[in-house]
Amino acid sequence: MAARAAAQADTTLLQVEAIGKNFGGVAAVSGLSMTVRSGSVAGVMGPNGAGKTTLVNLISGLLPSDSGTIRFGGTEIQRLAAHDIAALGIARTYQNVRLFSGMTVLEQVMAGCFLRRGTSLWASFLGLPKAVAARKAVEAHAMELLERVQLVRQAQLLAETLSYGEQRRVEIARALGTGPRLLLLDEPTAGMNVQESNEIGSLVHSLRDGGLTVLMVEHNVRLVKEFCDHVTVMNFGRLLADGTPAECIAHPDVQAAYFGNTADADRIRALR
Amino acid sequence: MQLFLEQLINGCALGSLYALFGLGFGIVFATLGILNAAHGSYASWAAIAALAAVEQLKLPFIPALLIGVLAGGLLAVVVDQVAFQPLRRRGTGMLGALITSIAFWIILDSLAGTATGQQSLSFPRGSYPGAMFHLGEIPLPAMQVITIGVMLGVTAGLHLLIRRSRFGAAMRAVGWNQTAASLGGVNPRYVVIVTAFIAGATSGLAGVLGGITTHNVSFLLGEGLLLKGFAAVVVGGYDDVRGTAVAGVGLGVLEVMSAQYLSSGLRDGITYALLLGFLLLRPRGLFGSLGFSRA
Amino acid sequence: MQPLVEFWRAYQSTVAFAIVNAFFALSTYSVLSAGILSFATVTYAAMGGFVGARLVLLTGLDPVFLLPAAMLAGAALAYLVALIFLRLDSHWMALASLALILITRVVVINVPSVTGGVNGLSLPVSIPLGVLVLLLLVAIVVYHRLSVSWYGIATRAVREDPAVASSLGIAPRRIQTIAFAISGAIGGIGGMLLALALQFLSPDTYFVNIAFTMIAGVVLGGSYHWVGAIIGAAVFTALPVLAQAVIPDFQEVANGVALLLIMIFLPRGLVDPRAIRLRRAAREGQGEALAAAVPAVAAARRAGGDAP
Repeated sequence: MAARAAAQADTTLLQVEAIGKNFGGVAAVSGLSMTVRSGSVAGVMGPNGAGKTTLVNLISGLLPSDSGTIRFGGTEIQRLAAHDIAALGIARTYQNVRLFSGMTVLEQVMAGCFLRRGTSLWASFLGLPKAVAARKAVEAHAMELLERVQLVRQAQLLAETLSYGEQRRVEIARALGTGPRLLLLDEPTAGMNVQESNEIGSLVHSLRDGGLTVLMVEHNVRLVKEFCDHVTVMNFGRLLADGTPAECIAHPDVQAAYFGNTADADRIRALR
Repeated sequence: MQLFLEQLINGCALGSLYALFGLGFGIVFATLGILNAAHGSYASWAAIAALAAVEQLKLPFIPALLIGVLAGGLLAVVVDQVAFQPLRRRGTGMLGALITSIAFWIILDSLAGTATGQQSLSFPRGSYPGAMFHLGEIPLPAMQVITIGVMLGVTAGLHLLIRRSRFGAAMRAVGWNQTAASLGGVNPRYVVIVTAFIAGATSGLAGVLGGITTHNVSFLLGEGLLLKGFAAVVVGGYDDVRGTAVAGVGLGVLEVMSAQYLSSGLRDGITYALLLGFLLLRPRGLFGSLGFSRA
Repeated sequence: MQPLVEFWRAYQSTVAFAIVNAFFALSTYSVLSAGILSFATVTYAAMGGFVGARLVLLTGLDPVFLLPAAMLAGAALAYLVALIFLRLDSHWMALASLALILITRVVVINVPSVTGGVNGLSLPVSIPLGVLVLLLLVAIVVYHRLSVSWYGIATRAVREDPAVASSLGIAPRRIQTIAFAISGAIGGIGGMLLALALQFLSPDTYFVNIAFTMIAGVVLGGSYHWVGAIIGAAVFTALPVLAQAVIPDFQEVANGVALLLIMIFLPRGLVDPRAIRLRRAAREGQGEALAAAVPAVAAARRAGGDAP
């Protein structure tokens, strides 16, 4: 496991070059470049409105970019439809959990396993044995994923009745159903307490140990320090800093972006 | 040549009915975001009310007309408050409103059918202006002049109301976002009710005039006006009353001309072909503006 | 025994029409379950009805053997419609499908060699009630199989949240095109069955009236499960017949009132799988989690209150 991770560690999996996105007159993302190494956990930080979620939306194909390129495993993906990008191996979760209304936990994850359905519509419609077998296999795989996120007991419950933290884990299991090489997590620990956040962190680590590459948008500085190999910091849609977690957190521009300028602090003191 | 001019005027008169109905329908669509399948029945019921006023109460033309218009307006308010207001509170979208409007379409049309004994009734001669004018050699029935004139007047009035008056601004604000409008000092409930009344009254006016000139007071009157009025709104552009008026008259002329010079079987063909064409290629219509989103 | 026979004879045609309406409702449900409101079932029905009727008159074969032709004609037309209409925004698509029905009638009037034009087409052939029941059972098996297959989950995902579905590799347009084809097939069969039930087709047979009542039936029965479509069609067909005994002359109004009540009080329809699951969850003592989730559930219900 670790050997495989080590062998992949030197390959670039995702390469973003000068990507830009405007909404009306506002540049949500502007000239941003970054790389994600295969088998690593990459963090994306920045104050609210920095463009982090837009970046995730651009990579996953939810939004078309206005300029720049995104390369995934060597293939250019910025012009592809979201479902084609998913088939190439990128999966994601959402800042505000977006589970399908009216579906059970198991059904959510089975929806995620669409790419593994393994049988044609005609076979299902005719009830052929191979279709029945394929469905059983998908169900089994979905249950395995639920085991990974420790939600097997809740499989038959309506997903929207679960607690917030549990819903996030369902969303992660659903994303894993696509069998991705790169998992984009948009603020996975928002609204969680310390214990739940740590559980997510360990889950991410175990996913990485299994060969998955993870890109995490995260506000929680402690988590980023503990679980990320590399961090990109954004502000006003642009790149602010890039490096190891320690380097980025100590960076004066990053500190100013989060906590304000010392010059401003002096001015405020002078007003008193 | 004379036939052509006669048919041209017939087309304008018919088209004025479509335009008039479309104005009412379009107001609800553009400002309240509702596709109201029951709107046609306001026209049917206005005609029925006016006919009853003439036959039972022996009223002359104008009071009967006003009663029909009033009936259309009141019916629209009732349907809006009973059907659409609960949905507004719940935040249901256009599709939910459409289905609820279908419920009322069923109710109102069946009741109208019962009211007219499942028949097509006519206004008795003498209950409306029957004078005949002449434009050169071409006969010009008074009702046609009235219909076209009323359409022009109502179009102008509505245009001024919507674009130049404070109430019009309030209508557009409420149509766009009720909460934001109320934050701006507008009483949305009041605006919605008055808007519904105006829409119902206008379509009711089309219903009475149409019932008289086509000798068809029945639920079919409303259904016919609904389909053609809807086409006028789409082709003309749903957020500009002048567009609806122009498109309505244009469609009326095209319909009469194609029935005369092509074949009676293709009478509705051009109208509906244009409707489909615009929906597929240019949904905002001839004069509508872009950036209209209702979700 | 005798009263039962009398009863049966009187209501046979109601049952037959209920089954025909069930086919139309299932056709509408097929696209609705993938997130699309479309009235085009009427056009597929017209296609299947006129093509099927003509073939019966031309070949003299038993109509059951010609049903596949009606089905394929409907499916082919639906596929074409999908190619053109799926580019549109959902609101415009619903209106365009309405325009399509209007054009259909014009076409029907102007192709008398196929449709009999304004005078209509007489079809002195009928189909036994038993065959209708059998066909409905086959349709039920098909819909059931589809709904428990990956297609069923994929359509639900596309309906609830097409963007998220896309990020899971589910291409909304592909799924919706399949939904259209199924809708066309079932609609085509329904159209031919209607022709056989009425034994006479006019340009007004396949028009706005049935468009509105079929969507109303699906919503009333429950637009979130195919059983809802069948129940809605049954209710819509039977209600006026029952009402006639109580309020003659006003029996048609009953459908409108029923639909209105459903839209106000039970917007997701009579058969709602989500409500059933919530009730089951509450019974199995998910009390705490449910209480915590109530705001989320209420919000979801409001969002899901949009019937289609």
